[in-house]
Amino acid sequence: MESKSKISLKIDGGEVTADEGMTILEVAQQAGIHIPTLCHHPALSKWGGCRMCVVEVEGVPRLVASCVMPVREGMMVVTTNERIIKSRRAVLEFIFAERNHNCMFCEKSGDCELQQLAYDLQMDHMAVPQAFTPYPLDITNDYMGIDHNRCILCGRCVRACAELAGNHVLAFQNRGPRSLIGFDLNETLNGSTCYACGICLQVCPTGAIFNRQRTHYAVKGHTKAWQATDSHCPQCGLLCATTMVVADNTLLKVEGRLTADGKRPDRGQLCFRGRFEIFNDFGERLRHPLVRNAKGRWTEESWENALDRVAKKMNSLRDTAGGQVLFGIASGGVSNEVLIAFRDLLAKGWSAGTIDTFDGSHYRAVLAASRELGHPLEEASWRQLPDSDFVIACGADLSKRQPLLLSLLRRNVLENGSRVAVIGPADVMASFRSFYFETDHEDLPAWVDILWNMAAQASGGTPKAKGKTQKTGQAGGKRYLTDLQKKVGMPAKTRTALTDMVSQYLASKQPLVIAGEALSDAKCASALNHLARLTGLKDPDACGRLMILKRDGNSAGAWKLGIAAQKRPGPKRRLKAGLMLLGEESAADIAVWTGRSAPEFLAVISPHMPTKLLDKAQVFIPRPSWLEEEGTYTASDGNETAHVKKVLTAPEGVRDTWQTLLALADRTGGAPALKTLEQLTKKAAAELNPGIET
Amino acid sequence: MTKPKIATVWFEACSGCHMSFLDLDEALVDVLSKVQLTVSPVTDFKDYDFPEVDVGIVEGGVGNTEHKEIAEKLRKHCRILVALGDCAVFGGINTLRNGLPKEEVLRYGFIETESTVNGVMPIHEELPALLDKILPLHEVVPVDVFLPGCPPSPEVIAYGLTEILEGRIPVLPADMIHFD
Ligand code: SF4
Ligand code: SF4
Ligand code: SF4
Ligand code: FES
Repeated sequence: MESKSKISLKIDGGEVTADEGMTILEVAQQAGIHIPTLCHHPALSKWGGCRMCVVEVEGVPRLVASCVMPVREGMMVVTTNERIIKSRRAVLEFIFAERNHNCMFCEKSGDCELQQLAYDLQMDHMAVPQAFTPYPLDITNDYMGIDHNRCILCGRCVRACAELAGNHVLAFQNRGPRSLIGFDLNETLNGSTCYACGICLQVCPTGAIFNRQRTHYAVKGHTKAWQATDSHCPQCGLLCATTMVVADNTLLKVEGRLTADGKRPDRGQLCFRGRFEIFNDFGERLRHPLVRNAKGRWTEESWENALDRVAKKMNSLRDTAGGQVLFGIASGGVSNEVLIAFRDLLAKGWSAGTIDTFDGSHYRAVLAASRELGHPLEEASWRQLPDSDFVIACGADLSKRQPLLLSLLRRNVLENGSRVAVIGPADVMASFRSFYFETDHEDLPAWVDILWNMAAQASGGTPKAKGKTQKTGQAGGKRYLTDLQKKVGMPAKTRTALTDMVSQYLASKQPLVIAGEALSDAKCASALNHLARLTGLKDPDACGRLMILKRDGNSAGAWKLGIAAQKRPGPKRRLKAGLMLLGEESAADIAVWTGRSAPEFLAVISPHMPTKLLDKAQVFIPRPSWLEEEGTYTASDGNETAHVKKVLTAPEGVRDTWQTLLALADRTGGAPALKTLEQLTKKAAAELNPGIET
Repeated sequence: MTKPKIATVWFEACSGCHMSFLDLDEALVDVLSKVQLTVSPVTDFKDYDFPEVDVGIVEGGVGNTEHKEIAEKLRKHCRILVALGDCAVFGGINTLRNGLPKEEVLRYGFIETESTVNGVMPIHEELPALLDKILPLHEVVPVDVFLPGCPPSPEVIAYGLTEILEGRIPVLPADMIHFD
């Protein structure tokens, strides 16, 4: 690319140089000259709608909007004088007068760009009478609402929804003073195709779009006392870049870092989980260690006594019955440091026969698929999505666990013309898919088998196995295929569509296959193997274009640290005692583990009161939530790791999880090798081996 | 030298601005020693026959016929008229009702709220009638000084009064303007 030529111009009398194509605003900002803006947003396309940013350009009779005006050689720009300020103030007053901006009943007050402009321009009253026309309020959605009375029609939300989310839900509706930001075609927020990513809320300069999950915003205090910390969201393995805003140990908002990291294909978005559900009530906090006595009564206990009780029980069983009867089960939503401390405690300290995560069966399915495949299954990264021209999503309801991927897929369709094929029970991709094959959970592996066989036959390059068993994942003969198609009751029309899809897949340059949550149980090993081979048809060396969606925020870390692989069934002896490490597991997750015959002894480390385990456990030990504890997390592709910062202080007396685990390790009879958080982080980095991102 | 005379009134408002005035603490003693307070809710004065005053201070928006009358009267009898607080300057929280017909507002307030039993509409020839919309003071009479805030902080009030007492018309600097 040719380098852009340099331009020199004068702003407020000072000589500045700029690249061709820059706007006056950009050049001024570069030179540290402040020009007020309102509709402009650095992460969005240029708009020029509000005229707050007007400046004088010598020789131009009218004031020009600096946010859209490109610089020219020799330009003379004035950014402030009486005329300019008068114009800006008039614009501001008209905006204030048009709808209701009486700030005392607005949740944005104190954090509002419009209000700040009024302060800066000393708007102590309005010469223009206010219109007082009532506009609607839409609170049909639980995550966010829109109060059109606060809307200034700056269009940032419209641009963000289209350009960042790729969702195109929002548009201007009606004309003149009756203009409204509309959802789809005159829909309510909740009835629309909006999936509550909240990016519109983040860029809205006023209180028009607001967070309905954050109920305590009124106590936010003065913005000067706010602390903003750059961190990452560890909830789904995409590790979105966040800024966490906190006041007085209360989380006020989570924002995506829109401009901080241009390398992220998500462009700094967050999903409803990271932005809204983080404010959910996860239940009563566990604040002290609790111990259940012989009569079944739970009582508060000192940390030392509670830890002693756990260690004593586990040690004695290890020494009498052997480690085979001991188990540990960890959340996949905790940091690598905690996972290592947990693993070493269980494996080294107690020689436990079973160490697992709540999604361990998924990992074992992947391991089994690798065995069938004959080599480790290499996974594709979500970062490959924007380069993919054909995506097959198998059994993936992206709206639940990784909703952000929906945005990437859709944008890729819109911006790059890629195509998406969906196979599975749920289809949230209705608006942008090219193919849809509806099937339920049960039939999905058979469908995958069909898909793989059709592709293998169509490409003709793969040896066909004899017989009907597909153990090795080799493609079967024509007969095998028709039998399978019959088995799932596939009509001829569907077969034709599938054939078409397969040929498009084979013709694509950079396909990607997504294996979703419907392919995560033990029965799905062969399906995963088939999908890997399917990608192998395109990429014979690597099979590297299969992306496996994982359940928990740090599933990949847990898998790579070998936690779930440590399940050693051994001789059929009953698991007698164990340690459960909880994050934000649902009751259903927990039930899977405790539904079997309750062990003699169960100790639970959890941020919240594990109410489901009141009659199953003997000891509860509190731990901080992920917002209250520093740690590294591994992205779902296993390739990168991010530091998640501690932004809140845990309830008084609650110790960091790694400290609790090391304190237990101290009581196993041999001192733990790693003693500090730094050592744990180092060990995690060494074992996981990806570059630390932040 | 005679002390400047001050009159203060409150209209459709919550009295918070007057409370903020009292919040001046020690400075209040100082301010009060320099002025003569005439008609004011603080002095529990209910007769609005204003003497000639130097400074008239209004808290609250103009919401009914009585407010309008008093505002006009005060304007006639004061040299400098101050709109104190967001309600007087912009209409404030009361503007919540501006989108609704006033009959509906009254019916809701006096009859339909959960806590009302046997409510009666406050309509009587001796009672001031609600205006269709609540208005900021300067849309009813000319205003000289604007001190927004909900409520304006004691610092804003002290700044405004000091400037006036020293013979200037105060304009709040950017860092003193607050709407909440
Ligand atoms: S959007 Fe901003 S200016 Fe408008 S009422 Fe809310 S805080 Fe005030
Ligand atoms: S939440 Fe996201 S998808 Fe919904 S309207 Fe806003 S930007 Fe669009
Ligand atoms: S909702 Fe917010 S971002 Fe959208 S146009 Fe209105 S003020 Fe601008
Ligand atoms: S900021 Fe330039 S026109 Fe709105």
